[in-house]
Amino acid sequence: MTSMKKLLLILLLMGTTLFAESNTGITMPYIDFPMKEGKGMYSTKGKCNMCHSWGYTINQGLQSKKFWREKVTKMIVVFKAPIRTQKDIDTVVDYLFENYGNGEME
Amino acid sequence: MERRDFFKKAITVAGTAAVGGITLEAGETVHPIDNRKVSNIAFPQKRPLITYSDRPPLLESPRDVFTSALTPNDLFFVRWHMPIIPTYINPGKFTISINGLLDREIKVSLKELKTQFEQVELTAVLQCGGNNRTAFKPTASGIQWGVGAMGCAKWKGVRLRDVLKKAGLKKEAAWIGFNGEDKAVYNETANFVRELKLEHLNDNIILAYEMNGEDLPYLNGYPLRLIIPGTYSDSWIKMISNITVTKERQKLHFMDHAYRIPDNECECETPENLVQKTKPIEEMNVNSIIGYPVTGTKVRSAAELIVRGVAFDSGHGIKKVQISIDGGNMWEEALLDDGSEGKYAYRAFTYAFKPKNSGKLTIMCKASNEKGEAQPFAKDIKWNHGGYKYNGIDEVTVEVVL
Ligand code: HEC
Repeated sequence: MTSMKKLLLILLLMGTTLFAESNTGITMPYIDFPMKEGKGMYSTKGKCNMCHSWGYTINQGLQSKKFWREKVTKMIVVFKAPIRTQKDIDTVVDYLFENYGNGEME
Repeated sequence: MERRDFFKKAITVAGTAAVGGITLEAGETVHPIDNRKVSNIAFPQKRPLITYSDRPPLLESPRDVFTSALTPNDLFFVRWHMPIIPTYINPGKFTISINGLLDREIKVSLKELKTQFEQVELTAVLQCGGNNRTAFKPTASGIQWGVGAMGCAKWKGVRLRDVLKKAGLKKEAAWIGFNGEDKAVYNETANFVRELKLEHLNDNIILAYEMNGEDLPYLNGYPLRLIIPGTYSDSWIKMISNITVTKERQKLHFMDHAYRIPDNECECETPENLVQKTKPIEEMNVNSIIGYPVTGTKVRSAAELIVRGVAFDSGHGIKKVQISIDGGNMWEEALLDDGSEGKYAYRAFTYAFKPKNSGKLTIMCKASNEKGEAQPFAKDIKWNHGGYKYNGIDEVTVEVVL
């Protein structure tokens, strides 16, 4: 019986440490969402991957030029993405449409 | 046909056909994209799920999860707005602040929540308002979810009303604002704050610390989240750490622009003619989904096939779930579980039959609720720019082999 009790005690202690361990927090995995090679990739990378993953962006699927332009505008107006010049905006929109476009302007 | 080659591999036959037939101007709905593959990388405390983003984590449950009334924690979908999420919270130190128009501003620790308030438990469906958004053509703004941005769990915690009572609401109090521990990357991006009208406060709204008998997983809001049964999950704030009571509603992007639908009878609009007057999405409409079989499953003819799935609404109660195996002409009632998880939970259903002929067979399910609402066919749902509240009749196509 005493060895049984001992075993129970050990199991109990193990249980507590296991439980404590489950509360030491988490480590988030890094997931690579490769960007298609193309003109403007580096500029877009710097601007669009600042606040969220590239996965978040390309989850939209292939879209029209108008769609991508509106999305970039939304990022600037609503979430204050620091993309300041028209030239920068055009570079990003062109990259998105060239590589993740559906061929349609609207 | 190449529009979506990003997901091409994963699109089912039905999905591909639908994408091919789009008239972009009209604004229409089709079956959402189905059968995307789960990732080979598991997130902490989760099994591998369909993964759209790691920063912030966006994880969808695969269809085959939806065969039982409770969704296991490690298969439960994940949606965060802000990418900076604490990866460690000390439960011994965590507190939630209650401030604003109150007799006394208070901070309540987890331990106090668990010991000084009445503990309540209820089962409720948590569903993103944009679940099934891939049904909307042209693409509606937001995450392009398939069918799995939902789950149902048993939540344990304390009533929000009780906590507010302890602080004492002032007479002018009219709005309750909630904020969690997730933060934007860029300091000028507004945080994800949501507000509830005080008059909508009820005894079912709880601050939950437990999910299906375990601590909440981090990615579902550890150590505390808000539960508002019957509503879409836009206000079910995760890692909730602050509650502010005010007289006027604050100006907020996520209240003023996101999670809103046209304020008209059909809750619909067209891409060229967006409706100006909008309202919050709030109450969930009646919905059901087949968890087994999934599209592409091979089944034997003349062998019993048990179709399994779940149905739910905003709490009026599910009256029946019907199954059709002839394209939606004849409907037969499925068996519902006993409903013991309560009116905000999934009702699991089963329907057994023996497929006769070999070849492709489409199985559809349709739920109706006690209020007399039934799911429409996918094509009869009207478009809205946010892609919210899709509840089209679900279908899977199996292959019957001799
Ligand atoms: C300042 C931060 C910031 C930057 C920079 C930024 N985004 Fe975003 N983006 C956000 C936030 C915040 C959300 C999430 C909104 C939500 O949770 O509803 C988001 C969401 C999105 C979405 C999801 C769909 C939607 O409409 O919400 C897309 C697509 C997107 N961003 C594309 C881009 C692109 C393309 C760029 C580069 C031009 C970009 N983002 C740069 C903050 C940013």
